[in-house]
Amino acid sequence: MATFEQAATAPLEAGRRKACVRWLRLLAWIAGWWLAGRALIVAAAVVIHRFGPAGGIRSLEHAHTLGPLVAWDGRWYRMVATGGYMLVPGRQSDPAFFPLFPVMLRAGHALGLSYEAAGLVLANGGFLVALIAFHGLSQRLVGDEMARRATTYLAVFPFGYVFSMVYPESIVLALIGLAALAGLERRWGWAALCAAAAALARPEGLFVALPLLVIAWQQRRTLSPAARGVALGAVLAPVASIGSFSLYLGHTLGDPLAWSQAQRAWGRHFSPLGFAHAVEGLGRALSRDAWVARDVAAVVLYLVLLAAARRAGVSWPWLLSGAAVVVVPLFSGSFDSVGRFGLLVPAVFWGLAALGRDPRAHRAILGLSAPLLVAAMATLPLRFP
Amino acid sequence: MTVGVAAAVVVAVVGAGFLVQRIALPTPPRASLVALRAATHLERHRLVDSTFTLGGSTVHGRCVQDWFSIGGHRRRGAALRLDDGFVLLAVPPHTLSSSGGTAVQRAASPLVLMELGGCPRVLARRLETLAQQRRGLTLRGSRLFFSLKGTRVALTLAPSTGAPLGVSVASPGVRESGRIRFIRMTPGLRQRLSVDALRRLR
Repeated sequence: MATFEQAATAPLEAGRRKACVRWLRLLAWIAGWWLAGRALIVAAAVVIHRFGPAGGIRSLEHAHTLGPLVAWDGRWYRMVATGGYMLVPGRQSDPAFFPLFPVMLRAGHALGLSYEAAGLVLANGGFLVALIAFHGLSQRLVGDEMARRATTYLAVFPFGYVFSMVYPESIVLALIGLAALAGLERRWGWAALCAAAAALARPEGLFVALPLLVIAWQQRRTLSPAARGVALGAVLAPVASIGSFSLYLGHTLGDPLAWSQAQRAWGRHFSPLGFAHAVEGLGRALSRDAWVARDVAAVVLYLVLLAAARRAGVSWPWLLSGAAVVVVPLFSGSFDSVGRFGLLVPAVFWGLAALGRDPRAHRAILGLSAPLLVAAMATLPLRFP
Repeated sequence: MTVGVAAAVVVAVVGAGFLVQRIALPTPPRASLVALRAATHLERHRLVDSTFTLGGSTVHGRCVQDWFSIGGHRRRGAALRLDDGFVLLAVPPHTLSSSGGTAVQRAASPLVLMELGGCPRVLARRLETLAQQRRGLTLRGSRLFFSLKGTRVALTLAPSTGAPLGVSVASPGVRESGRIRFIRMTPGLRQRLSVDALRRLR
């Protein structure tokens, strides 16, 4: 016979169990989409390995089946992980690559994995976490229905093959999502940690500061003075984190701005007129290298999707930080890799989810994304993402 | 209170970030750092004076790194001129010609001559590549050893500045060494060395 206490807690436990089942179902659904997207990429990598063009990753492609996924910048991240930073003036060198991912590669290596395997596990595992965090954040900001569509689109987004490469993008997206979620949940210590880690992995992590600032501002009256301090600290954490990288470079290489210097050898040099130079030199850049068209198209697509997100009511801090991720790199005078940078903009996927409200549009987006993802993957030996 | 806590968070992030990098990331091998320093000295100079032995006799040379107009294209290359009239012009990708000099000089490998002559870009590019790859460099005292297209090169470096002072080259059948000295380039010297080298080889 149930006691009075047991009878009182029974509905509570039943509710908890229900919530737990719902959560597990949601996780299984996200994991299913993650698996579907990653399966396409792995299958494409195998086909490239067997039949594809060798292009610029000749030796890596033939090294092992997933060779294409460890190519391009993956080599630089491994170089930092194995040998530390070294600035070669006037030449492409590794301080252009932020330190969190190499630190994680070393941790994976210490557990007995090769650097390549560690990178692939981190990137792909990180993407599963990113999808979960992104879905949670989307639910809070744009509602359940939009969250589901946005998460689906993110899982099979054509540029999303980068999330499976030895690149830090998936981890940065996860950290951006977790930082904002922690802020919304008033866990500002965690928000500071995630925001700092995001900026230590990619400079785009810096732009999460703007949504965090607005979230902190909205909570200002309900937070204690100490909690307000931690919230303000979380907003400043990405800048502080990049400061720690500069401090480290100053200590090891004698040049705190070595990361910015190294970028120059990739043709990236920030200047107020950089945007004008990028647009003005577009014709020349296209005639020299037709692949630039891909990144120009990505910039246009991202800006259109941000406009769609705005129409759908996405709040301005997310739109502004997203626009910054897409537009600021153009001030370096180059369109290169903006297609990849835009993957770190949650509002882009909310914009796409807004366009996918119509069932036909939804089917069209999904129907196009999968083949485009495979096609984009097939270009990997020919062009860096 | 709020500002104080925020400042503490910022300091904690900077400190923790620095410590994580300091503890978790390796520092490059000393040989790579020394090579990079030597390469920086070489890259800073476009004119090098050298004195080296070749086939038993001592020769004096000057290597200038410059832009050369060849076939209507301006390309980067090097001209090595020895005191006895030997001139070697190397402009990648297709130009490698020499004139004058002794039979020993004409028979010597152009690469060996350029290495002994301290041609800065040839040595610097190789040092930078090996330093970046963190391999192929051995440091013994103030001597840095590396290989370059089948030759084994040893640079003697100034202990205080790390600037190259001497070059030894070993390849099948060759074992020569010499001293090098960086010279400040002037328009007059440039005219005399680069333009004259081109004129003599035409």
